[in-house]
Amino acid sequence: MFDQVLFYISAFLTVFGAILVVLERNLMHSCIFLLTSLMGVAGLYLTLGAEFVAATQLVVYVGGVVILMLFAVMLTGGGLEEIKKNIVSVDLAPSMGNLITYFWGALSAVVFLLVGGKILTSIYSSAVIADSPKLFIKTVEEIGTKLLTDHVLMFEMSSVLLLGALIGAAVISRPSKVNIFQKGEDDVSH
Amino acid sequence: MNQNFDAYIPIIVLMTLGILMVIGALIVGSLIRPKNPNKLKLQPYECGEDPTGSAWANFNVRFYVVALIFIIFDVEGALMFPVAAVFKKFNEAGAGGAILISVLIFIAVLIQGIVYCWKKGDLDWVKSYQVDGNDNKVAEK
Amino acid sequence: MNDTIVSYISSLANIEFSPLFVFLIFLVAILIIVNVMALIGGLGTYAERKISADIQMRQGPNRVGPYGLLQFLADGVKMIMKEDIIPTESNKLLYTIAPVLCLSGILATFTVLPFSSGFILSDLNIGIFYLLGVSSLVGVGIFLGGYSSNSKWSMLGGMRGASQIISYEVPVTLSILAIVLIAGGLSFKTLVSGQTGFPNGWYIFHNPFTFIAFFVYFISALAEANRAPFDLPEAESELVSGYHTEYSGMRFAFFALAEYMEVFVLCGVASALFLGGYKVPFDLGGDTIIGQFLQIGSFFTKTLLLYYVVIWVRWTLPRLRVDQLMTVCWKYLTPIALFNLIGTAVWIWAFDGKSILSLILSIGASGSAGGH
Repeated sequence: MFDQVLFYISAFLTVFGAILVVLERNLMHSCIFLLTSLMGVAGLYLTLGAEFVAATQLVVYVGGVVILMLFAVMLTGGGLEEIKKNIVSVDLAPSMGNLITYFWGALSAVVFLLVGGKILTSIYSSAVIADSPKLFIKTVEEIGTKLLTDHVLMFEMSSVLLLGALIGAAVISRPSKVNIFQKGEDDVSH
Repeated sequence: MNQNFDAYIPIIVLMTLGILMVIGALIVGSLIRPKNPNKLKLQPYECGEDPTGSAWANFNVRFYVVALIFIIFDVEGALMFPVAAVFKKFNEAGAGGAILISVLIFIAVLIQGIVYCWKKGDLDWVKSYQVDGNDNKVAEK
Repeated sequence: MNDTIVSYISSLANIEFSPLFVFLIFLVAILIIVNVMALIGGLGTYAERKISADIQMRQGPNRVGPYGLLQFLADGVKMIMKEDIIPTESNKLLYTIAPVLCLSGILATFTVLPFSSGFILSDLNIGIFYLLGVSSLVGVGIFLGGYSSNSKWSMLGGMRGASQIISYEVPVTLSILAIVLIAGGLSFKTLVSGQTGFPNGWYIFHNPFTFIAFFVYFISALAEANRAPFDLPEAESELVSGYHTEYSGMRFAFFALAEYMEVFVLCGVASALFLGGYKVPFDLGGDTIIGQFLQIGSFFTKTLLLYYVVIWVRWTLPRLRVDQLMTVCWKYLTPIALFNLIGTAVWIWAFDGKSILSLILSIGASGSAGGH
């Protein structure tokens, strides 16, 4: 019975967090509602029995990405400037963008409706889905075993991918001013 | 064995308790507190002077660099956790050497990343400096 | 299957509980734990003042109650009656949410703290990983506290605090990984049950790499909790009061409470991972209720000893500058932690996971046997 409660709480947090991210005018508030939404997603992972993924979501997203976004907002001025309205933006949702956004949004909505309709029709046409109790798997050990036996190459490739991300991020965010306090530094410091 | 969702009850209850404690204490406080706002009290504190300028002044990009590097290492740590959890099991089954080589390759790539950032100065915080006799800025050692 | 305190009680009493009863038992256990932790948080402030007074050769608080023990209650009453000043032009939503995030983050870590083998609120399969994740909510809370106060010093303190917390999470994660390698699991029961009651079985003495890992973890945990000598974000002499300058009364009390509880949680994790946790020598009491209480006592003894060391360090060492802080983290602690990780992995492979003392004993035994 508690898994239903957990599901409803997590779904509520996810959906309303996401809606408020878009509707908020203040950028910092949006970041905090994003935090709420991501925690809701972690709760949804828990209802599916994926404990390790939920914890990874907490560690990486809540503990890292949200702080990174907060720093990025600070870097670009503190989120203080007025979000400009264009001809077609509605006053209620300031982050709606321009005509291109509307085009892609409409396209995505059509795709989602088609996919959703297909899923719903298949649910209603099949037999009633029983509420089966889920089997408990120790997901950490399973993931670890699979990472080391079946998917070793993916494991190593992920470290190379992270190295690439690290170098790219460091290059992009390096301050471009030459540091005059370090002797012997080249002018082109990349 | 079936999934026991009761194990997650304390998480939800404790987080809600955190929210409720703060809101409850503020509500209780608002009943027994004095409420005399005046302009001086509401100003942000600036050691007794009148506050000048906005608070959101120059932001140093090194905070952002540190956050980026942290994310990468965080994800590496998150990937290492399941591997570390099964290492002992594999070791007892006799395949410890192969697993050790996988883990060492993973960490070696990680080490290359940190060495790169170290050498390129991304891990340096800006040093303080002093001004010498000719008004030149000289870095402290 | 995740063991919880409810499953422990139902295995003791052989009753199957209905969902409502499960929830009620959890509620009672949570209230007990939160009250005990809040008491420890309050007594932590008292202990800090008394110990700092002892180190500085003066008397601490000794008026309120016997030996000044009720000082923290007097402080609490004072704080709740102070006027609630919200500075103008501050972001009211974020101003209120910052202490909530700090407090919720720390309260949520209580679910996995191993007080004894039965009295863990819920022994999640991902225990230590979950704890790492939830304690990073405190970083977000500190940043928001600094940002929403609309004051230059608070902002600077908040940013420094957040970057300090996220930087020092890397050595913490790597040190914990070294222990997870030896123990073979992430749940706290697995981590603690691999150790014995006597110090020779503790993971800190398992091999020289984990010995160093304990100190790396302890230093990084000090920095994560913004405790001296790493308390630049709340440096009293530099930033007025850092990220909680503009917080008065009860809001500040929540920040302080969260900080003292966080120190307790980090010391608890250190004692569970490295110092044998709730294991009692000779396994006195076994699985009975008396044994459970002895285990709780063992856990609290080790954790409070580490707590005393944390307070002691604060009043002994000078404060680090912010660039020294970052240098210590990225250029010293992280390489050392990586070295520990590699060393522990190689040790486990080479010696089949035996501790250094058992190796010495076996060499001694085989030497005496082979040397007739």
